Amino acid sequence: METDIILETRNLTKAFGALVAVDNVSIKVRKHSLHAIIGPNGAGKTTFFNLLSGNLEPTSGQVLFKGRDITRQPVHRTIHCGIGRSFQITNIFPNLTVFENIRLAAQATGRDNFRFWRPASHFKQYEARTWEVIEKVGLKERTFVPARTLPHGDQRKLELGMILAPDPELLLLDEPTAGMAAEQVPELIALIREIQSSGNKTVMLVEHNMNVVMSVSDTITVMHQGRVLAEGTPADIAANEEVQTAYLGGLYKLNA
Amino acid sequence: MTPSAPSFVQQHRIALISLLALILLPFIVGVFEGASPLEVWSNRSGASKFIQGLAIEIFILALYALSYDLIFGFTGLLSFGHSMFFAVGAYLTGIALKSFGLNLWQTFGLLMVAAVAQALLFGIVLPRVKGITFALVTLGMSSVFHIVIMSRELGDYTGADVGLQGVIVPDFISPATERLRLYFVALTILVLFYLLYRRFVDSPTGRVCKAIRENEGRAQMLGYNTFLFKLAALILSSITAAIAGALHTIYQPIVSPDISGLGFTVTALLIILIGGVGTLNGALVGAAIFRLLDFGLRRYLGESASFINGAIYVLIVLFLPYGIVGTWQLKASLTFQQMRQGWRHLLELFGLDRVRHVSKE
Ligand SMILES: Nc1ncnc2c1ncn2[C@@H]1O[C@H](COP(=O)(O)OP(=O)(O)OP(=O)(O)O)[C@@H](O)[C@H]1O
Ligand SMILES: [Mg+2]
Repeated sequence: METDIILETRNLTKAFGALVAVDNVSIKVRKHSLHAIIGPNGAGKTTFFNLLSGNLEPTSGQVLFKGRDITRQPVHRTIHCGIGRSFQITNIFPNLTVFENIRLAAQATGRDNFRFWRPASHFKQYEARTWEVIEKVGLKERTFVPARTLPHGDQRKLELGMILAPDPELLLLDEPTAGMAAEQVPELIALIREIQSSGNKTVMLVEHNMNVVMSVSDTITVMHQGRVLAEGTPADIAANEEVQTAYLGGLYKLNA
Repeated sequence: MTPSAPSFVQQHRIALISLLALILLPFIVGVFEGASPLEVWSNRSGASKFIQGLAIEIFILALYALSYDLIFGFTGLLSFGHSMFFAVGAYLTGIALKSFGLNLWQTFGLLMVAAVAQALLFGIVLPRVKGITFALVTLGMSSVFHIVIMSRELGDYTGADVGLQGVIVPDFISPATERLRLYFVALTILVLFYLLYRRFVDSPTGRVCKAIRENEGRAQMLGYNTFLFKLAALILSSITAAIAGALHTIYQPIVSPDISGLGFTVTALLIILIGGVGTLNGALVGAAIFRLLDFGLRRYLGESASFINGAIYVLIVLFLPYGIVGTWQLKASLTFQQMRQGWRHLLELFGLDRVRHVSKE
């Protein structure tokens, strides 16, 4: 039985001219797991996410979400089938307020998008949801300032908030802690873990911090030059000779 | 109700005062010209007619500029073919009344159909072209329209390069005999559209339009089919501009083909740049300044007016990148920092910045 597989890719490939950024990747992601994708810079992790979220069209291969083929689905459909995606490079609405950034995310999956004769503030359900999310990611102190004025760490929280608002089943988080001050990282990771376990969600996480990856992941896929180099539990990966030489460079040892 | 909440009147003080002033304007000017309000009301003496005419022109320009602010200022669609939206309304009204003898209501129905059709025409290309390319494609479309208007073959209908004249306007809004009524009709239409726009830009739909202007790729990723929202803005904008064009035909004895050229699109752009991009109020203020400045300078400076005019606009855009209303809304003196932010913002709107977002290839 494969009903506990929420996302599957089959021979997924993306070539930019001669460069094959994602090369024949077939993986399965178990429901309610935290599945990390790691690999050196340029390994193709972000490109892989872009294929999953519909931001890029694959050269070949398939993406199946809950058994359904979503390979060439337009990008605006992604969230409606239950996949939320955050970006490595902060991707927000800089001149809108923090509140409006999240409110827009909450409104998107509702049915009121074309009610142009009513003020947006009339639709209380989205505002209520926005407050919930703001509370959760800890942006309560800076709700009504333009998003561009937030410090970087808070922009990362906002980025996360924007995908939590519509409450997707699968979260694709591309280096959510990128550029964050080291002391803020554990807090955010704890939050992600909490969302994943208490909300019964599946999380796919790209992350460079090995300590974080080793401690929170259920499954790790190691990518290298577009291909899957290894896959397994944190313990498997830490013990894998090939991974050690190709990527971890012997720097990371389990229990080190 | 909290006692500290400002009342409706307090909240909309400026708008209400302006509206009242505009309602009283013909009568006050009439008094200065020696006609009692009653005489002005009955349109007998011809008093304040000139001011009424100037105001009608401003109302039309303001309506037209509003429609441009919606697509450019709020949705971030840079169209260089906007004058076509106006000109289609103007020519269609003229031709329907003059050559086909339709009445005003039939003409209005036709106008709505044409307005939606041309918005769809601009809309077809939306999924394929962005930013400056959209500007050029729309310029191309409106240029074709301009050529058609100017062609000899259709001269019987359009008046070709001479302009459309001899349109018989229904008596009850004739600019010659019932100008005061036309003044109030134009003012009412402007106010109604202004209120509709205020609603629209703050509605769920309008909020998404703003998000598209800020970062279209992200709006798509949030789950919005941005094409539909841009199309909605285009349709509303096109209807508005077409009605402005219809009023233009009703008011002007000759409809010049210039209104379908690039120059008239630039007029809309200038008006909202002066007034403040993406503020709606800026379109109203900008239209008044634009028309009055043009009128005043021409009167006192004659030929050199347009040069001075241009210089003034350049200075305004350079030193008030948020426009007059936008700067006012900053509620503080404009710092150099804010000016730089304003210039950046303008460049972004014109697609001339270097910011890129992840989007479908
Ligand atoms: N749009 C594009 N056009 C051409 N090449 C691209 C494009 N996007 C990515 N690449 C290339 O594909 C390869 C994989 O890039 P990708 O961003 O997916 O790596 P990554 O694993 O996310 O790296 P990082 O850890 O630095 O984020 C790189 O060599 C990159 O230069
Ligand atoms: Mg990456």
